[in-house]
Amino acid sequence: MPAPLLQMWGISKRFGATQALKDVSLTVESGRVLSLIGENGAGKSTLMKVLSGAHQPDAGEMTLEGHRYAPDGPNAARLAGVSMIYQELNLAPDLTVEDNIMLGQEVRRLGLLDRTTQRRKVREVLDRLGHPDLRPDTPLQSLSIGLQQLVEIARALVNDAKVIVFDEPTSSLTQHDVERLFQVIRRLKDSGIGVVYISHFLEEVREVCDCYSVLRDGHSVGEGDLDKSKDQEIVGLMVGRSVEELFPVVPHQPGDVLLKLDGLNGRRIPRDVSFELRRGEILGIAGLVGAGRTELLRCLFALDPVSSGKVQVEKVHPAPMPSARIRAGLGFVSEDRKDEGLAQTRSIADNTTYSSLSRYSRFGWLNLRRRTKSVSDWMEKLNIKAIGPEQNVDELSGGNQQKVALARVLHQQADVLLLDEPTRGIDVGTKAEIYRLMGELAAEGKAIIFVSSYLTELLAVCDRVGVMSRGQLREIRPVADWTEEEVLTVAIGSED
Amino acid sequence: MSGAQPKPTEDTPRLAKHAYVTRLLGTALGPFLALGIVVLFFAVADSMQDDGGAFMTVRNFRTISAQTATVAVAALGMTVIIIAGGIDLSAGTALALCATVLAWSLKEDVAVLVVAGNNVQGVESEIEELQEKLDRVTREIDRKEATDSDTTEAMEERDTLEKGIAAQQEELKRVTKIAASTSRYSPTLALALGIGAGCLCGFVNGFLISYLRVVPFIVTLGTMRLYLGVSKQIASETTVRPDRETQVPEWLGDFLSIRGKALWAGLPIGVWLTLVLALLLAAVLRYTVFGRYVFALGSNETTARLCGINVRWNKIAVYTLAGFFVGIAGLYQFSRLSVGNPTSGIGLELNIIAAVVIGGGSLSGGRGSVLGTLTGAAIMAVITSGCTQLGLKNPVQDIILGIIIVAAVTLDQLRQRRFAD
Amino acid sequence: MMRSRFLFMTALCVSLGCSKSSDNGSGSAGGSGGDKQYQIAVIPKGTTHEFWKSVHAGAQNAAEELGNVEVLWKGPLQESDRDGQIAVVQDFITKGVDGICLAPLDSQALVPYVEEAKEEGVPVVVFDSGLDDESNIVTYVATKNYNGGALAARRMGELLEGKGQVILMRYTPGSESTTQREEGFLETLRKDFPQIEFLTTDEYGGTTPESSLDKATQLLEKFKDEVDGIFAVCEPNATGVLGALEETELAGKVKFVAFDPNAPLVKGLADGTVHGIVLQDPVTMGYEAVMAMVQHLEGNSLEKRIGTGEYIATPENMNTDEMKTLLNPEQFED
Repeated sequence: MPAPLLQMWGISKRFGATQALKDVSLTVESGRVLSLIGENGAGKSTLMKVLSGAHQPDAGEMTLEGHRYAPDGPNAARLAGVSMIYQELNLAPDLTVEDNIMLGQEVRRLGLLDRTTQRRKVREVLDRLGHPDLRPDTPLQSLSIGLQQLVEIARALVNDAKVIVFDEPTSSLTQHDVERLFQVIRRLKDSGIGVVYISHFLEEVREVCDCYSVLRDGHSVGEGDLDKSKDQEIVGLMVGRSVEELFPVVPHQPGDVLLKLDGLNGRRIPRDVSFELRRGEILGIAGLVGAGRTELLRCLFALDPVSSGKVQVEKVHPAPMPSARIRAGLGFVSEDRKDEGLAQTRSIADNTTYSSLSRYSRFGWLNLRRRTKSVSDWMEKLNIKAIGPEQNVDELSGGNQQKVALARVLHQQADVLLLDEPTRGIDVGTKAEIYRLMGELAAEGKAIIFVSSYLTELLAVCDRVGVMSRGQLREIRPVADWTEEEVLTVAIGSED
Repeated sequence: MSGAQPKPTEDTPRLAKHAYVTRLLGTALGPFLALGIVVLFFAVADSMQDDGGAFMTVRNFRTISAQTATVAVAALGMTVIIIAGGIDLSAGTALALCATVLAWSLKEDVAVLVVAGNNVQGVESEIEELQEKLDRVTREIDRKEATDSDTTEAMEERDTLEKGIAAQQEELKRVTKIAASTSRYSPTLALALGIGAGCLCGFVNGFLISYLRVVPFIVTLGTMRLYLGVSKQIASETTVRPDRETQVPEWLGDFLSIRGKALWAGLPIGVWLTLVLALLLAAVLRYTVFGRYVFALGSNETTARLCGINVRWNKIAVYTLAGFFVGIAGLYQFSRLSVGNPTSGIGLELNIIAAVVIGGGSLSGGRGSVLGTLTGAAIMAVITSGCTQLGLKNPVQDIILGIIIVAAVTLDQLRQRRFAD
Repeated sequence: MMRSRFLFMTALCVSLGCSKSSDNGSGSAGGSGGDKQYQIAVIPKGTTHEFWKSVHAGAQNAAEELGNVEVLWKGPLQESDRDGQIAVVQDFITKGVDGICLAPLDSQALVPYVEEAKEEGVPVVVFDSGLDDESNIVTYVATKNYNGGALAARRMGELLEGKGQVILMRYTPGSESTTQREEGFLETLRKDFPQIEFLTTDEYGGTTPESSLDKATQLLEKFKDEVDGIFAVCEPNATGVLGALEETELAGKVKFVAFDPNAPLVKGLADGTVHGIVLQDPVTMGYEAVMAMVQHLEGNSLEKRIGTGEYIATPENMNTDEMKTLLNPEQFED
């Protein structure tokens, strides 16, 4: 058996007090697709940053084609033949396809651009990827995200990449683009390139990958061929604990109808959404990225413009302004903690109370002592780990930040909680805490809408689950009546 | 929330406690230390001159406080804007506009102007003009009579002019009578107009920024010119010079004067007012809902929206409040110059912004403090004054100020980078 | 610890550096004049125009001649910054200089600060431009600007042979010296050459050559067919007008009289695009201002007004020795 294409041995990396990677090993073989699996925060990104030279490991070694490989930066890694395709593409939208592919590796003759040679190379590469129809002089910004991604892959090929790493490449693609990407990956594999594929979705992984390696809390916890492993086995490795531990159940009973939507339309999506939500009920919303789940919540909270439809909370029809929706008892936790959910440079106290400061004010002046007391109480209730209420949010871990965002909607005494991907990017322990909290809140009589891309948690936590596709809410069923496959079928959904 | 739940796997790193302390030091104490160092530097350098020793005197600190007051007050307003994530390039020309409006109002005896629709000066100059014309016509008549030409037309003109003068003299009596009772309200009204002009400038900025959704930099780049034009219009492109003796109230002239008779508890009244305003503003920023919203806007506008904060109106309020401070600063400038000059604010906005930035305000918003801004303004004034007393030339002074600003901004960047990861 | 020591050393170096540089100016080594050392602050309107460099040279000449005088030269950072000049005056009062020679940027705004200086025991000599209230100053050393304007008017009258249409480019409101020139020009031309008409008398060129260029170009475009002569009332103004004349291709055709020289204007005088330059004697002005201050400090009484002479250079007389030195006055160099 020949030496593997790429090997990483005993890689360790520490950031301050956090051990991000500990003695991790990985083998990539030529002509095979390796799936790197792990929860958020398991160390996948850090490992890939080590591979691409963005981070230097504290310990460990790497070899590429049998030679020592120690890149001192992304450029060195690229020159050595290791290319990364990130979720966010690194392209210049105003340049053409050709210019983007050749960016930084232009063919020069006598100091001038050699367009002829360049054009030939670009065509060759696009041929190799199975897309000879893509014209090199098209401006990049006129292409779909999927085709832009193809350009990025072409760039890696021009550079003679031996290993290509895909970091969650399907998260912003349409179903059609995903199919095309998988074909491209198979072509890459056939031409002898080693591929590392990072994804959360086991289904995707099974479709395109040959073998897997699982990371958990910075450790390698298992690897093998996908043919020979069951889903449960892999999930068990990822999570490291049993399903009961992960999804604590708090019994709760649905009560009276609290929220009523009647034909809600956004500017483009969502389209014609109607449903009722009862006190003490957790409604899950599943769907692909772009199906309109986030937009539904934003519309409901009047962050996005509402073009028609009725929203009724108990007996109130709140005006389409966030402030009115807050008064009516709605609370919204954004999927984007960093850029929308929280004012990162402000304190926990400020972030918790921004939506209901008037509670502590008289004639506009605040009673800070009373506020500090109240915020401290909430921090204790939600088990937020921080020095105190005045600590800035950006100094907290992802999980604790998410709890601050939750603390805000609880503090404003919202009755209907709109939670958009509340468990994204946080560790397993905190996830469990949040599931438990949701159960407890439902038991207190609050209603929760829970949007998530992680089907397993939706099916474990919710009372009912609705599936969205193309901006419409297709179907709501009690959770017991759904299987993962059925949800996916509806989500991918054919035209009606 | 206790019970048999899984143990959280992550803790806030211990490092954070340390970082928390340095952050406090960084925002509040940093500029203060810098001021200390600058003062110490000039004090030492000055005392080593043959004829030095004047730097560390009460008079010098009094002088510096009076010199920095104008920029400091305007910078208080700019602090609010910068904390809210905005910028105001029009502050300089708006300040000059306020000073010009104030000067114009005093010069035109504005209370009388409002009540009588005219003022004594205006009527008097009208009479003078008519009289001049009358003289010319009379001479013409004499000449024509000498040459025996037709004088009817000229005679008619003389009659109209004489009637005009008589009418104006009546008017003068009326206006003088009104002036006797209302003229004393002119200074108060002028003050209100000057400060009101500042608020209006700020309101316009805020309104345009909120409703056009254009970045503040561009909007205020435009209004900078706009306000310059308006004040040139008011001043008829010259300098407005109310009479120091009769039209400028004494307290206004002495507002920032460091002459013995003008001092109050050792400092000019204008300096005390600056300190009071600073205290009030600090309290507003810390202890009011509005103050919290200002920080929220600058830290993350989308979060503010999500929390149900009325972003538009709060922005307008921020710029209007800053305009109020610009109005006060206009008053200060007028009190120092005793003239209103439309161009005397050009370039001032950069000093104002520099004061905020040196004081730890971040141009990316969300950070800044009143104490820091006052310190920043003081640092610049100390350097200016110190350079004069050390006999350092203007180029050296410019270079030192430039270095201080770059250093302050670099420090801000370092702070941000530290907390970014 | 390390840090504070470092700062202390820096402070030391700088202060040594500057005391040395001020030594240069003081000429204290000789001490031929008197036994007392005088420190005199000279505050120009700005520090970048060539005119002020010559004033500086004159002041320095006086200091060197007397031997017991140190000249501290400092102006506002920007040319039209009244508040900046006020700050410089106040700082020199604080420093406790023996006297201040001031070229006020504004005839009204500086009045209270001159009064303040007097109260603090610092005498003030005003030069170049006057003040509205002259009761607190020792003396006023200046070109008789009105006479300078009159000289320009006479030259213009000669050039146009008593008839034609002219433009007066004013400088900026509130500048006493240029207002005097403008008055002198207007009144003399009206009185001595009644057939010459003014196309415009109320346009301001502004404080920079750029602003004057813009304004002059507009005016020349507007009066292209009528204008026979143009008078620019100071150096930045004249530079702008000369540029505008060249841009509108009127250079040489329109009679152009300037006030204060610089290299392009002098070259224009030789080329025939400039027909007269009113000259002041900035070197003498600086010299006389410092001399007057020292006279006052030594207890001598002075005239309230000291003239420093005004001249007109023409293409015909520009090569005489007298005009040569006035056209290229000595400039201060470090």
